Amino acid sequence: MSNIVGIDLGTTFSELAILNAIGKPEIIPNADGERLTPSAIFFDEDSPGVIRVGIEALNARHLNAERSVRWIKRHMGDANYRKEIDGKIWTPVELSALILKKLKQECSVEHGEIHEAVISVPAHFDEVRRKATMDAGASAGLNVIGIVNEPVAAALYYATTREVFGKVLVYDLGGGTFDVTILDVRGPQIEIICSQGDHALGGMDFDQKILQMLEESYREKFGAALITSDEDRAKYEDEAEDIKKTLSRRPVAKKMLYGPAGSMKVEITREMFEESIDSLIARADILVEVALEEAGLEPAGINKVLLVGGSTRIPLVQQRLEKMFGFAPDKTVNVDECVALGAALHAGLTTLRDKPEAVPAGIASGLRDIILRDVCNHSYGTICAPLDKETGRRVIQNRIILKKNTPLPCETSQMFYTMSQGQTALEITITQGEDADPEYVNKIATHKFELPPGRPAECPIKVTYRYDVNQRMHCQFQDLQSGRTLEVDFCLDHDGQSRQVGIQEKTSQLEHVTVQ
Amino acid sequence: MSQFNSNIRSSLLRTAYCILGLLHAQRATHACPERSRGDASRTTTLPDLSILNCRVQLTKQKADNSISDTFTIELSGSIRAASESDYATVQILITDATEGTDRAKPVHSQSKQWQMQDAPPVFCYRADLGRLPNRVTTLSDWTTVAHLNLDWLLFPHKGKRTLQFSTSVLSSQNGQEIAYAECLFAYENPAFGYVDLQENIHRAKSLAVALAFAVSAADNKMYHSEVQLIKNWAKKELRIENSELRNSTFYILHSKLEEALDHAVGFFQKGNQLDIYKVCKEIVEIAPLSERYDILDLCLQVARAKGTVAAEELVVLKYIATWLEVDMDRFRAMMEKRLPVNIHQVKDAKVVLGLSSDMGKERTRRQLNKQYRQWNSRVTNADPEIQAQADQMLRLIAEARSQYVG
Repeated sequence: MSNIVGIDLGTTFSELAILNAIGKPEIIPNADGERLTPSAIFFDEDSPGVIRVGIEALNARHLNAERSVRWIKRHMGDANYRKEIDGKIWTPVELSALILKKLKQECSVEHGEIHEAVISVPAHFDEVRRKATMDAGASAGLNVIGIVNEPVAAALYYATTREVFGKVLVYDLGGGTFDVTILDVRGPQIEIICSQGDHALGGMDFDQKILQMLEESYREKFGAALITSDEDRAKYEDEAEDIKKTLSRRPVAKKMLYGPAGSMKVEITREMFEESIDSLIARADILVEVALEEAGLEPAGINKVLLVGGSTRIPLVQQRLEKMFGFAPDKTVNVDECVALGAALHAGLTTLRDKPEAVPAGIASGLRDIILRDVCNHSYGTICAPLDKETGRRVIQNRIILKKNTPLPCETSQMFYTMSQGQTALEITITQGEDADPEYVNKIATHKFELPPGRPAECPIKVTYRYDVNQRMHCQFQDLQSGRTLEVDFCLDHDGQSRQVGIQEKTSQLEHVTVQ
Repeated sequence: MSQFNSNIRSSLLRTAYCILGLLHAQRATHACPERSRGDASRTTTLPDLSILNCRVQLTKQKADNSISDTFTIELSGSIRAASESDYATVQILITDATEGTDRAKPVHSQSKQWQMQDAPPVFCYRADLGRLPNRVTTLSDWTTVAHLNLDWLLFPHKGKRTLQFSTSVLSSQNGQEIAYAECLFAYENPAFGYVDLQENIHRAKSLAVALAFAVSAADNKMYHSEVQLIKNWAKKELRIENSELRNSTFYILHSKLEEALDHAVGFFQKGNQLDIYKVCKEIVEIAPLSERYDILDLCLQVARAKGTVAAEELVVLKYIATWLEVDMDRFRAMMEKRLPVNIHQVKDAKVVLGLSSDMGKERTRRQLNKQYRQWNSRVTNADPEIQAQADQMLRLIAEARSQYVG
């Protein structure tokens, strides 16, 4: 029997959970016995060929920041991000693969070979970032059988382990990203209503505010900079994180600052901290309101607010939620672990759907009643040139065909028309994004669609987009007069041979890398 | 500058219409020795039935479930056929003779069906009259021969016009004119005419240049890049399009334009101010919405030409947009593209996010949520510049929320 695992590849910490014999998810501690593994990487200069991942890498940042990497998730899918170590260029996918490899190898020691996994991603991750995450998994030697949205995973875990019923809002404020998801939970039946996310809001942004306060205090006293090197920065970033955690438990945090101009003791109160993060919390409030608007709900329509992610421990976060909804949010499970636990459940459901024979009877029975209905994560459209009603001119426009948050599986069609007489081809562009302005959406594919010659303008072209539960999208462009069609398929895990070959190369490269 | 340019164009047009008028007069003179001239305002007098007479009435006609304003053309009097049982065709031309028949301008047709074959888009109505019963056919009563839908017609000018209707009866055998009549008709044209439209386009462009200079001067300093951008735009947009002029007059015009532009720069550099409201008001009267967006776009380009945009320029731009009566959401979308927040010298959340002092907390909250929704979806754009802009906008939105909503 192969293990069924879920992985929370987080900005600050990562975890791996496995389904036990009765289909219940459990966190698997790493080799250090820790349930959470810091998502930090250090290229050890004293042991060439050895790459350290986890707590050792986190501490090593203070000694050699240049050879360290942290918060790589913020760069996932960023084609411009590169880290050069000893002449080798590392991409976000490869660096993330090192974290996944560490989780995989240390779990395999006690539980046998880990092969198939579901990895969680923020709900707002676009296609590029989702693919990059899958590539990282594949490079780490995992068969990534699915990608699950973090708040969906968390809700799945909550809904199957706690008494939850009705409209539930999952507030997922992690180390680097923030998601809000609204679900309708009816026993084991979970329907996602909508998800909204903010890619640049998380614990690390709160840490930065504290770091600014430390730097200002030092400059005020000594008239000099506290931080003069990358190592200093790494050290005080961690100190700031510590202060933040302390302020979640106590009203005041005290620290010694050892700067080049002398040392000083600094006191940061919870009030000071809350004032400094006010605009960040305001940003979180907006996202909650936007999600409620999208779901067509008022705060009073929400029955429960579930907290996910370490940053939800900040008292101000909980107070704001209580003020908005009129009741305290639920924090009965470990906010750091529920995503990985839910991802494992999702892996079980995926395996049960695609390969039921591979699921042991005990696990199958544990998962049998769960029904999860997800939504489309983004809007998908095409570029067209309609007449602007206001100006009477043709404008190039992105027309959304499949709207974000449409329940899956879904299919929708729209009719378009050729523009000119004798038009023999259409430039087809498939887009992902919410804007009507083509400049603000991502073009995920372009194709040329040949049409028969000698026809008048205004020939109808039917465009149909279909999205299934496995996040596979099928696009069809049909010329209704001639019957000609152009079909384009998208799939997160199978998008062409060249990519597969590239992943295999990376996998074999990483096989020779020692991760500790 | 615009005066000079417009004079050249007007004289060109005038010359063209004089030639057209002459040609028309010559053709008619050859074809019809017996001519009658009536005045629609004097149609109550009894017509001379020995010649052909015409009169015009403004009527309403029902067609395709709608009622249209129509010129109804009626004839009376005699038509002398070239032979027995001749078939005849009626042809009607209209000219605008407000400035005198020697300076008459033809009425054009928007419909190809009613355009003169050898001189489109000049209006020319032709229809079969049928067989003439006698060698000399006399219409003793006013007889309707045509209903000319006003939607077909494009007049040269707006306002009170004197239209000359020239009606010819042609022999179907050889096309020879066998009878002719003309009459004048006073008509108030509510819409801009084709000559007006041409002049308006030119005038609006000249006014656009003035507005662009006003934007450039808003921060009390006209940068070389801004002035150059306006000059290049003006040279491109106000050029003489007639190729014949390129050889002779083009270079004179070019230097005159340059001189006029320099004069405008000097005007603003001396601290003089333009009445922006008045200019915008005129533009609204003469330019369609699409052209007003083009003018606004020029102003936005000028504002960004030096790499940063001053707060004073943003204020002027907002006034221009308001007074040009464009959609403010669309204006904001144009601003976002042309003037991303990172080039704003002062990042004023109210200006950038479309907030105003009279908005209550609730409206401010809704506006900020709308802006957040828009920028949050752009933050993962493939273009790093758009990503950076979205990041900055989200920060501004959050700060504004903290400040104005709490």
